[in-house]
Amino acid sequence: MNHAIRVVAFTKKNWINTRRNIFTIFEIVFWPAVGVLSVGLLTRFLELTPETSTFVLIGTLALSLVQICQLDVAYAILFDMWGKSAKHQFLAPISPWHMVLGSWLMGVIRGLVVFGLLAGVARLAFGFDFFAPGPVAVAIFLLGMFLTAGAIGISVCVLLLLFGLRAEVSAWSGVSLVLLLCGIYYPVTLLPEPFMTLAAWIPLTHFLEAFREHFGFSPVFQSPLLKGFLSVGAYLALSYWGLTAAIKRARRNGLLLRLSE
Amino acid sequence: MFAVEVSELKKSFHAGLWSRRVTTALAGVSFTVPRGTIFAVLGPNGAGKTTLLSIASTLLLPDSGSVRLLGFDVVREAPRVRERINMVSGHTNFIWSLTTREILDHHGMLYGLTGRARARKVESLIERFELRTHRDVAYNELSTGLKQRLALAKALVNDPELLFLDEPTVALDPDISIRIREEIARLRRERGVTVLLTTHDMPEAEFLADEIAFLRHGRILAQGDAESLKRQVKIGDTITIELDGLDGSLDLSGVPGVLSYRSENGRIECVADSARKRLPELLRLIRERGGVASDVRVFEPDLESVFVELAK
Repeated sequence: MNHAIRVVAFTKKNWINTRRNIFTIFEIVFWPAVGVLSVGLLTRFLELTPETSTFVLIGTLALSLVQICQLDVAYAILFDMWGKSAKHQFLAPISPWHMVLGSWLMGVIRGLVVFGLLAGVARLAFGFDFFAPGPVAVAIFLLGMFLTAGAIGISVCVLLLLFGLRAEVSAWSGVSLVLLLCGIYYPVTLLPEPFMTLAAWIPLTHFLEAFREHFGFSPVFQSPLLKGFLSVGAYLALSYWGLTAAIKRARRNGLLLRLSE
Repeated sequence: MFAVEVSELKKSFHAGLWSRRVTTALAGVSFTVPRGTIFAVLGPNGAGKTTLLSIASTLLLPDSGSVRLLGFDVVREAPRVRERINMVSGHTNFIWSLTTREILDHHGMLYGLTGRARARKVESLIERFELRTHRDVAYNELSTGLKQRLALAKALVNDPELLFLDEPTVALDPDISIRIREEIARLRRERGVTVLLTTHDMPEAEFLADEIAFLRHGRILAQGDAESLKRQVKIGDTITIELDGLDGSLDLSGVPGVLSYRSENGRIECVADSARKRLPELLRLIRERGGVASDVRVFEPDLESVFVELAK
């Protein structure tokens, strides 16, 4: 079985749809740039210290990266749902991981484009250098973001296979659920105790803490990188198990067929 | 060896609050299809045809029973089955923004075709289905006929040994339907592909199928080739004979093969199991009674009549 070509099939499909879709320009360029610019200007208006502005800008960039990459993973199923062509995909001799990995790779490519763009905007507009911690720290941070996006994207696919297009909104709002808890715009210490405990269960919290540590912020939780990778590994495994179970359920209750009608 | 072995296949769908509303789609279906043949499943809407094909093509899991394709179980050995089969339905869709070539290329990749082999396969399918001038046209800009030709081309991307066709010519213009049918017949003739076909279209089944099964309420009511089906449902051929020189009625009650008859005013209308077999005997009987047949008409029922009879 040629696995690589099956994985690339999904990367290529997302690439073609990215090229053809005008909304992609908004997804990759417009919204992330508007986000960083408006948040950056807000920090100026509020006369935040450079350190606090750095804290907020890192969060804004992380949110854009996760959002853009997880959307591509969700596209593994969403495009075929919109096109009512899901059954062709599930008729072919592929595994769920071919779908997920192939789409995730396109998400990583789009995420890297967004990162380059936002890093440039932040540098030019606000003098903030994302690359200051060095290439290794940046690479680890990006890996954490993309793996987190993978877990969220797979979870969105699970919801789509459980509830059909009624769950479509989760593709755009899934990230927002973790936004409140993982310390995008503020430290998790501001959260009431039970929510702070919840934040410790979110990988994004730890990856943000680890990256912000390079800019002088002390992490709230011990060993953030270790916790981040362990927890994201667990979520990836759990969401993938959920995906295989959801596909089996969709084959049992006929949802796969209804998604193609 | 059989390409398809279906045994006691059952499937129900649950809907409504707490899944209390149960619809039985298949209520114990069994049949076999020899390799290299075309097997048609006919039936009214809701008979269970699409459910049957969906289970066979691994898109749906059965409640009980089994389906073995080319020796592999469709539930336990689904990946091996998927490499060897493909499917076309009358309501096929693909991602709207992909072009004809990109759709074939994408599915070639899903079936593991690489590099030049995939490019050659895509180009040969484009040629075969006369899609050359539409190769770079987006799917949503294709006509219904072109979409269906593309669907059939896509179904051959992996050179399947077994092809499932779910009402492949529904809603197509007659000339395009004929072309699609000819292509299906050619596939079986030239490549020995086994075809499992569902259709509403009686002429289509009669033209293509070696064997036909009538499905209704999730059960096979009758099965066989077109001729044997007519015999099974005992519709018979209708023979109408206009008589000269014979007054009164003619008694045909003891004549072998005559299922029913009406004889009055110099006209006999009888239903016999086979017109070819029984007509000489009937004419001999008329001559013996001093009559002369001035006009003989024979109506052989088509599959549609069988369908109507079975659907009663």
